[in-house]
Amino acid sequence: MKSTGAFRERLHEAWIELKENPGRSLLQALGVMLGVASVLGGFAISDSQRTQAEKLFSRLGGIDKLNVLPTDTVYDGAPSAMQSANLGLRQDDASGGGAMPTAKGVNATSFLKEARARVRSEAADQERAVSGIGADYVAMNGYEIEQGRDFSAHDFASGAPVAILGSEAARVFFPTGEVVGRPLRLGDTRVTVIGVFSERTFRFRKGQNNIFAWRNRIVAAPALLVSARMQGDQYHRLDRITFRLPDLNAMTDFSKELSSLVTSNHRLQQDFRLDDVHKRMERQRSQGDVYNLIFMLSGVLALIGGGMVNVNIQLASLKERVREVGIRMAIGAPGSEIFKAFMTEALLLTALGSLIGFLVGIAFAWVITLSIGVPLSLNPLSFLWATLMALVFGFLFALYPAVKASRQSPMEALRYE
Amino acid sequence: MRIIETRGLTKTYGSNGDVGNAVHALRGIDLDIDRGEYVALIGPSGSGKSTLMSILGCLDLPTGGSYTLGGTQVEKLSGSELAAIRNEKIGFVFQQYNLLPKATIVRNVELPMLYAGVPRKERRQRALDLLAKVGIPDKANVLPGALSGGQRQRVAIARALANRPALLLADEPTGALDSKTGQEVLALFRELHVQGNTVLLVTHDPNIAALAGRQIELRDGSIYSQQRRAVAA
Repeated sequence: MKSTGAFRERLHEAWIELKENPGRSLLQALGVMLGVASVLGGFAISDSQRTQAEKLFSRLGGIDKLNVLPTDTVYDGAPSAMQSANLGLRQDDASGGGAMPTAKGVNATSFLKEARARVRSEAADQERAVSGIGADYVAMNGYEIEQGRDFSAHDFASGAPVAILGSEAARVFFPTGEVVGRPLRLGDTRVTVIGVFSERTFRFRKGQNNIFAWRNRIVAAPALLVSARMQGDQYHRLDRITFRLPDLNAMTDFSKELSSLVTSNHRLQQDFRLDDVHKRMERQRSQGDVYNLIFMLSGVLALIGGGMVNVNIQLASLKERVREVGIRMAIGAPGSEIFKAFMTEALLLTALGSLIGFLVGIAFAWVITLSIGVPLSLNPLSFLWATLMALVFGFLFALYPAVKASRQSPMEALRYE
Repeated sequence: MRIIETRGLTKTYGSNGDVGNAVHALRGIDLDIDRGEYVALIGPSGSGKSTLMSILGCLDLPTGGSYTLGGTQVEKLSGSELAAIRNEKIGFVFQQYNLLPKATIVRNVELPMLYAGVPRKERRQRALDLLAKVGIPDKANVLPGALSGGQRQRVAIARALANRPALLLADEPTGALDSKTGQEVLALFRELHVQGNTVLLVTHDPNIAALAGRQIELRDGSIYSQQRRAVAA
């Protein structure tokens, strides 16, 4: 074929060839279909899980965070004078960093001071965790005010005797539903409830426990109130300082600078540790990549299996087609044209098989995600991957029969019975 | 004008280093055929006529000697060049018709034009014209299996004519037909010859050979005798 539309002609011929041999074509497409379905289905399942994880992260208030946590400097024996002179992690550790060049990347900061206390209202009396919070803690952890108001800057600065309750805590301590403005005792400290956080729920899979249940149990008060009033700590030590850096690339430099700043603040004692939340989550997420790899591998195996079946079918049908090839050669088809015809046919089959494979793969992923209760989410990239792999394997496995067919002598092919 | 010119054409099979076992199918053929001739190649089986036919048809290459087809030196061509020659200059008609069984009649006739790069519409039109010319205009869209032997051979002839070849090569074209349809097919060949086509017919039947303008008899790989007679025009 010499005309400019040669490829279209070949495609047309290949299509006719497939139509003339429906049984054989179906068998060949089956291998491709299974491979594509397996790759796509597998990817769709892990994509669905991943999407769900991303949703979780955003509901957590983002994972672009760096935590500073206090640690013990002394693991055994008596502390040195330097060590015992240290004050631990304080609010000043956070405010002292304004001079750091990387600090401008920080767009939010939060403090946490934890305490356990007897929490009493008119209706309930329970031993509870009390979260002393500061700065952007509410927003950074994805809390929203449902009733009343948020802590003001003044509340935080003065350690005002006010508290905000999670929805579960509000129900327990004020079963009447009248919460805002009511008094509450945190240990010996009397506070006024100024707000209620809205109920938070997140289920990774349908029917699973609410993994945010503990967040509804929060009893939040200003950090200063917890450390100074409840615990009598004149240094206002904290249990956690968190920075948010939207630019994840800046995180490494920032944590280096922060580390040296805090170290010098702490008389060169390493009594704290830095925890890059994003890196930690990435590590967990990389387990998902292993599943992707497994799915891809099973897809590749299916494609190889299908490919070998195809080679066999092609070689078997080649016997059937020897005469046909001979006829085509006798009336002027060069070997290269026979080769191209076989390849076009194989690639057309691959394309058709891929299309059916898409449908089967999506159906497969839909059934699986439905059964594990995760909403189905499809990534265009996995379609690309599945098609790409099917084409590569389709091409590789089509080569041998095509070469074999094109190398026949027209004389012998014509005489073949 | 000369269409075929061979000099000292030889073909030897199975001589892989073992000269004793070699089969000499052709032992030096000198043959000239002019444009517009009607030539019959005759000889008993094993005489080398099929071998000569496949070499003249560019399906095979000679072991020695030279072969010029329509001015082209054939014996040195590559596989794809030979394919192009077969496509453009030669129309084959086989004893067993050799149609593609799963393709419709019109597609069978179109096939040589497909490889020649004729556009689809023109291809279809010419195929239909050719089917009309060989006397089966109404069978375009049926499969070969639905046709009688004579009709299939007409399809094969239409296909052979598709690219207006310089040479029509027919290998026992009536071998699989009863005598009446055989006569009809031979009449078609005569008609094509009258229209100016060069026809080379291979047969073992002296009666069929007698219809040609020239008879060339092969025996043991050599030309044994040649006879000419005037063909009624």
